[in-house]
Amino acid sequence: MNRLKHRLKHLQRLQKVKRKKHHQLIHQLHKKHRISKKTLFYVKEYGAHSNIPRTIIRESLKVLIFASIISSLGGLALEQIKQIFLSVLPLIILLPTMNNMVGEFGTIIASRFSTMLHEYGLKKKLFLPELKQLWNQILVISIITTVLTVVLAIIISYFSNSEFDVMVSLKILAIAILTTLIMISTLFLIGVWAGKHFYRKAEDPNNFLIPLLTSIADLMNILVLSGLILLFF
Amino acid sequence: MNFDKNFKEIISSQAISITGGLVAGTFLAVRIDELMLIPGLLIILPGFLEMRGNISGTLSARVSSGLFLGVIKPKHIKTRVVKGNLIASFFLAMVVSLVLGLVAFVFNYLLMDTFVIKILLLPIIAGALANLIEVPLALMFTFMLFRRGHDPNNIIGPVLTSSGDVISIISLLVTLVIL
Repeated sequence: MNRLKHRLKHLQRLQKVKRKKHHQLIHQLHKKHRISKKTLFYVKEYGAHSNIPRTIIRESLKVLIFASIISSLGGLALEQIKQIFLSVLPLIILLPTMNNMVGEFGTIIASRFSTMLHEYGLKKKLFLPELKQLWNQILVISIITTVLTVVLAIIISYFSNSEFDVMVSLKILAIAILTTLIMISTLFLIGVWAGKHFYRKAEDPNNFLIPLLTSIADLMNILVLSGLILLFF
Repeated sequence: MNFDKNFKEIISSQAISITGGLVAGTFLAVRIDELMLIPGLLIILPGFLEMRGNISGTLSARVSSGLFLGVIKPKHIKTRVVKGNLIASFFLAMVVSLVLGLVAFVFNYLLMDTFVIKILLLPIIAGALANLIEVPLALMFTFMLFRRGHDPNNIIGPVLTSSGDVISIISLLVTLVIL
């Protein structure tokens, strides 16, 4: 009972520590009381004395505004290739799915890598076996889902009174696969780099990585897609 | 290649996402003429669709971390941490909607030489409508998935995206009718 009170007293002290950097107290509490570092980090960030909405808003607002502006730039690119999109029906059907898919892979990379950082911390070795496994999984799944999506989009457009053209269909397939491969490689590299950067700054990577990767995904996806469409059509 | 639980979770959630995305895409293709009535709507569209990932996805990731760490109990939704997350998510959603409207308004004015006040109001009203549904939905799904023994990180993204796309496009169309 006495030991529990002692721990509670230390945790209350931890909550009063400024969030800016990892405090020595975390290491002491972790060693002495065997409380995991990830729990201590969460207590420090969202503990009883912290104003939770304020903490989240303060950490997320800038990156969200940045993400909105970046997405709007992507929208502007979309506005420029509006005519091509309107003329190729499978592309209109495909666009939200492609955009979602790349964004979702960004979200999976961001949240899984954030959890890895919370669990294992920063290791000297750049790619953990768990990270390599994540990359292999994302690569295989992205190719399967891209091919499936393109086939379904072509079938839907065929049943929407659109003409079927083998050459156009093959071009759409090539554009989709190339876009996916370029995007997931880019997101993975940026995710790992940015995740480590934010973790080093003692911030919760969850609050930064998802908006960052999804906005990069949205902007780059449209730009890469637009470039490839101009190249192929 | 390891076809573990994570692989199965990601691929099955992608199947949901493809279905939702294709429904949204078909809906967009059918209603594209109505949406194109407002100049510059394509400028806000990616950011508006992305918002569910940035707001609801981040909310889910934070709550998931709390659930895994044991700071949030799976059977207690009405806690200080969860309420704080909800308030912050709604606030952020409204700020982002306002920014999207402002950026589209400025681009419209500067690049297309058009002065459309609707483009400013559209994301704010549609954003409020969409997030009133999407944010509680994200929270509910996260708790439900965790209680059933899944990792919400692997599944929630595609679930939110597919449901969010349809909700967002419907919100936009409803707002167009209101305006």
